[in-house]
Amino acid sequence: MAAVTALDNVTNPSQQQAGLATDGSQFLTFKVGDELYGVDILRVQEIKGYTAVTRIPNTPPSIKGVINLRGTIVPIVELRTVFGMPAMEVTPFTVIIVVVVREKVMGLVVDAVSDVLTIGRQDIQAPPALGARVNVSCLSGIAKAGDKLVALLDIDRLLADG
Amino acid sequence: MSNEFDQFKDAFFEEAAEHLAIMEEGLLQLEQSPGDLDLLNKIFRSAHSIKGASGMFGFDLVAQFTHKMETLLDLLRSGKKVVTQPISDLLLKSTDCLKLLIDAAKSNEPTEASTVQQLTEALAAACSAESRPAPSVSPFPTSSKAMPGSRRTFDIHWTPPQNIFQRGLDPLQVFNELNRIGTVSVLKVDTSRLPDLQSIDPEICYLSWDLRLETPASERDVRATFEFVEEDSTLTITEVPVSAPMPEEPPHDSRPTSTLTPLECEETAPKPLGSILVESGVISKETLDRALAMQKRVGEILIEQKAVTPQQLEEALQKQRQMEAAIHAKKADPTSIRVDTAKIDKLINLVGELVITQSMLSDLGTRFDMKQLHVLQERIAQLERNTREIQERVMSIRMVPIGTAFSRFPRLVRDLAAKLGKKIQLVLSGEETELDKTVIEAIGDPLTHLVRNAADHGLEMPEERLDNNKPETGVIKLNAFHESGNICITVEDDGRGLNRDKILAKAVRQGLVPEGVSLSDDQIYSLIMKPGFSTADQVSDLSGRGVGMDVVKRNIEALGGTVSIKTAFGKGTTFTLKLPLTLAIIEGMTIRVGRETYIIPMLSILESIQPKVEAVKTIVGKGELIDVRGLYLPVIRLYEVFNVEPEHRDPAKAILLVVETEGERVAVMVDEIIGQQQVVIKSMEQNFRKVEGIAGATILGDGTVGFILDVRGLLALARQGAALAAS
Repeated sequence: MAAVTALDNVTNPSQQQAGLATDGSQFLTFKVGDELYGVDILRVQEIKGYTAVTRIPNTPPSIKGVINLRGTIVPIVELRTVFGMPAMEVTPFTVIIVVVVREKVMGLVVDAVSDVLTIGRQDIQAPPALGARVNVSCLSGIAKAGDKLVALLDIDRLLADG
Repeated sequence: MSNEFDQFKDAFFEEAAEHLAIMEEGLLQLEQSPGDLDLLNKIFRSAHSIKGASGMFGFDLVAQFTHKMETLLDLLRSGKKVVTQPISDLLLKSTDCLKLLIDAAKSNEPTEASTVQQLTEALAAACSAESRPAPSVSPFPTSSKAMPGSRRTFDIHWTPPQNIFQRGLDPLQVFNELNRIGTVSVLKVDTSRLPDLQSIDPEICYLSWDLRLETPASERDVRATFEFVEEDSTLTITEVPVSAPMPEEPPHDSRPTSTLTPLECEETAPKPLGSILVESGVISKETLDRALAMQKRVGEILIEQKAVTPQQLEEALQKQRQMEAAIHAKKADPTSIRVDTAKIDKLINLVGELVITQSMLSDLGTRFDMKQLHVLQERIAQLERNTREIQERVMSIRMVPIGTAFSRFPRLVRDLAAKLGKKIQLVLSGEETELDKTVIEAIGDPLTHLVRNAADHGLEMPEERLDNNKPETGVIKLNAFHESGNICITVEDDGRGLNRDKILAKAVRQGLVPEGVSLSDDQIYSLIMKPGFSTADQVSDLSGRGVGMDVVKRNIEALGGTVSIKTAFGKGTTFTLKLPLTLAIIEGMTIRVGRETYIIPMLSILESIQPKVEAVKTIVGKGELIDVRGLYLPVIRLYEVFNVEPEHRDPAKAILLVVETEGERVAVMVDEIIGQQQVVIKSMEQNFRKVEGIAGATILGDGTVGFILDVRGLLALARQGAALAAS
């Protein structure tokens, strides 16, 4: 419920921005830990509050399990685990962003949704090389939005091996 | 627009397939009772429907070929020719060819012209050979080929019956056909019967035609063109001397006619007499109506005049009714499943009840207090009953009789018998047993394989059978029946049976079984379903089973079913397929391990036991076995396989479920059995991928997801884990 309100808060300004911007795409941004990430909004099917997840036996820890999304079975990926961050308690802000990856529906567990931003193409930088210690292969780029840094996710690559 | 047309085309192909099936079935039955006129009529009607519809869609090849078949069928029907083996062979082959032609029309691919040509000629030969009284062995030359060069000219007047379109016929086809056999030099359309635009009925044919045809064909051939529309038509065919002028006003009555139904002549006049009288004001419309009401029906008049006997009339009427019924059937629902209306009526009643229950519940909810708790419980029980009944009814809509899957076998067995030189009788029973349409579609191939195997390898040659004191004709029995929520299909033959020792020897030789192991009979027989059990020299060496048996087994297991074999050497073999009624819902046992809930298909559960402390033994330090009434079964600890935190690690406190897969039994250790329920299977692959040990997912009562276990995968997983632990 909290998630839906949060989204309502952000839609209006984003629509205004969309009206102004002619070049660039819209991104849904969300928080994982203190970091801000973004996914192409056209890939987002819906945002739903966190519900109990059924663990799938013998799968990598990043696959948190599956949920029942109106009768279909949808696998859930926990981004904290994917990024190697410590697991966190579920809060009222924890949401599942349901995305479509190669015709498959998947859910991403994130700490909170933040905003919908329109980012011009010229504002997107290629992901910097940070050495072997940090894996940036799942990023399509980084962008500056105001005083915030948004890491743009390439969800096709991120969820490539499910 | 074109999409709509495509939709009709789809309906045509669907119907054509049905008609083909009817024809094939009819032809096979006809071999048993060659004189059966009803059967012939049935076959003829189906052929006719295909012809009419294919012509409408412009599949001329199909229409022409069917027309040839029809010609022969009509001769059989009218008794001018009797059904013999060569003829029924020819007709069956033609049915196959027609099937190919229709498939080709469906996929827009070119057809194999040579086969069609060959069969067309054979059909023509069969027709002409028999329609003439001359007992000529060589096919009588058809008149169209007989007199090349000598073209004759015919004046034809044709008034089709008004309801020609309603019968599914198209006059255009006739003209196409006429154009094919000759040249239509003069063509006049009589439109005088056309009413005003307001009163026109597009389904009625108001037209009649006068035409002149120049053709090398005989009058008989020309007349044959009209064969299917002749009934109730007014048709006159007159041969005219060459270069005679076309009569200006064809006076029908004065012609040397061979009018078929003279009584209908009146109706074909430009305008009914009554309407002329009304129009000219001689009589009023009412007077006319009264007069018309006094008119007798054609049949009654004919009887009065003693032209026909009541019996003959009754037959004719019967025929008419059949035709109407056939037209009716054609107009029936074009979708793939035909549901008995009774089923839908019941469903609607149930939905009504559900609505009532729902309103009673919401009424109770608005003014509920704890005193009414028992009322609430009662109504919830009622809701549960309604829901269950609706579920059952809805499932039953998808249920179709298995007879549709069996129907292909009479033909298959007939052909196999002829090819193998064996005598085989096929006995079908339980055709009315219903099961899910998807299951029926999926079992077709495995069943065909089993029947083929039974005919090919199971049954002996007639001489061998006689030597063994068996009747010369071998019997293959196909039976279907319900058994405790499953469907069982048996394929039984009274052939030579499986040779236990030979199978074992062969398996040992191929390294499938280590030498010196003692196996139960069941285990040995199931060896033939192992992939890799060589099929190379089976026909001669072994009892000759197992060609592709692993595929059969795999297909059946993919449907959640099992295959079992019973055999007696020298007496025969029975394959039993056990299948779930539907693929969408399974009966499952809900179990708990730690905090996880899983479902095990009931089909694979044999029993559940609570072991005593000393019942679980270990061998080689690690492998666990449980003693179940003297039989040691391996124990699989589900929490180990799935890496979850269990409630009990002590087998004596847990519950063991004895499950069976591929004839192998294991005991699966779980914390608790929650209960038995029907679960709807949801795909895991749709959004994720296949997970080892899990067959699918389902939504549990609380809305969360539960997994349905795949017992076979579980076993493989446990073995893998054990291997890893050992290494």
